[in-house]
Amino acid sequence: MKYIVLLLGIVGSSQAFAAGGFTWLSGISHKLNLPEHTVTFVFVSILFTIAGLVYRAKSKTVEASVIPSPKVGFRNIWESIGEFIWTLSKQTMGESQAKTYFPLMVFYFMFIFMNNLIGLIPGFLPPTENFNTGFALGIFIFVYYNWEGIKAQGLIGHLKHFAGPIIFMAPLIFVLEIISHAMRPLTLGLRIRGNMLGDHTVLAIFSDLVPYIIPLPFYCLGIFVCFMQAFVFTLLSMIYISMAVETHDHEDHAH
Amino acid sequence: MEGSAVVALSAAIAIGLAVIGGTFGQSKAAAAALEGIARNPEAQGKIFTPMILAMALIESLVILGFVIAFVLQGKI
Repeated sequence: MKYIVLLLGIVGSSQAFAAGGFTWLSGISHKLNLPEHTVTFVFVSILFTIAGLVYRAKSKTVEASVIPSPKVGFRNIWESIGEFIWTLSKQTMGESQAKTYFPLMVFYFMFIFMNNLIGLIPGFLPPTENFNTGFALGIFIFVYYNWEGIKAQGLIGHLKHFAGPIIFMAPLIFVLEIISHAMRPLTLGLRIRGNMLGDHTVLAIFSDLVPYIIPLPFYCLGIFVCFMQAFVFTLLSMIYISMAVETHDHEDHAH
Repeated sequence: MEGSAVVALSAAIAIGLAVIGGTFGQSKAAAAALEGIARNPEAQGKIFTPMILAMALIESLVILGFVIAFVLQGKI
């Protein structure tokens, strides 16, 4: 696997030196006439799918899926991430909602985390550094939570969410709420983009100044930022979904 | 020449002011969360998630400032 990726990168990016900045995938993006972040995004998706299939194959039988593997490995890492998101979604959404929305949320977390982490490998640009990637992920969450809200309490009930508790204030609150809801995918995309770009730029500048040893703390900071941004994105998505689908009866323990 | 100097200055001022405001807000959130944890260490798990959430919401405005600075930087 490693060698195939390396070979593909070297073959694909042989013509990239002419273009200026070197990246492993720029040869492919030149050839297909696609932007760099799209190619990296697809690359990460392929890796993600392969990882999922490997996990599936490793826990195929009932015994294998129940008994944890004895040493720290591929399965343990994935299961610990899944358990972490499961605990988080139980905390934020409650047990019954968490069961419904956990698969989407854990997919978002792992996928964004991988997309962020690939930027730390020299010669890769993280796809989340581009605003379009974050905005696409955010707008999917926006459509999804509105859809789920309409499904859970009907169109009128969902629109009532926007109107606020007092009836004669409703026209004013409605406009404000619409604006704040429309800003949500925008801020989701901008947050992840700004953080990744800032982190990556700091790393690039320091590895330009001193190539050895000095960038190490920034790599550690980079891993932390990658984790934090994926975490924040997932947490906010969970809260948006749970706010949209919750009925008025138990509004008192809203977050 | 004059115009680009103004643009460069305004980009720096935009990100600088945004960072000042964001840092004040985040420091307040962090101080309150740390005080809560110090008073009741068992509540750490429960405090952590809302703290991160508040910080993310504060930070989003700083990032809007950063975007403005970034757009301005392209115009120098």
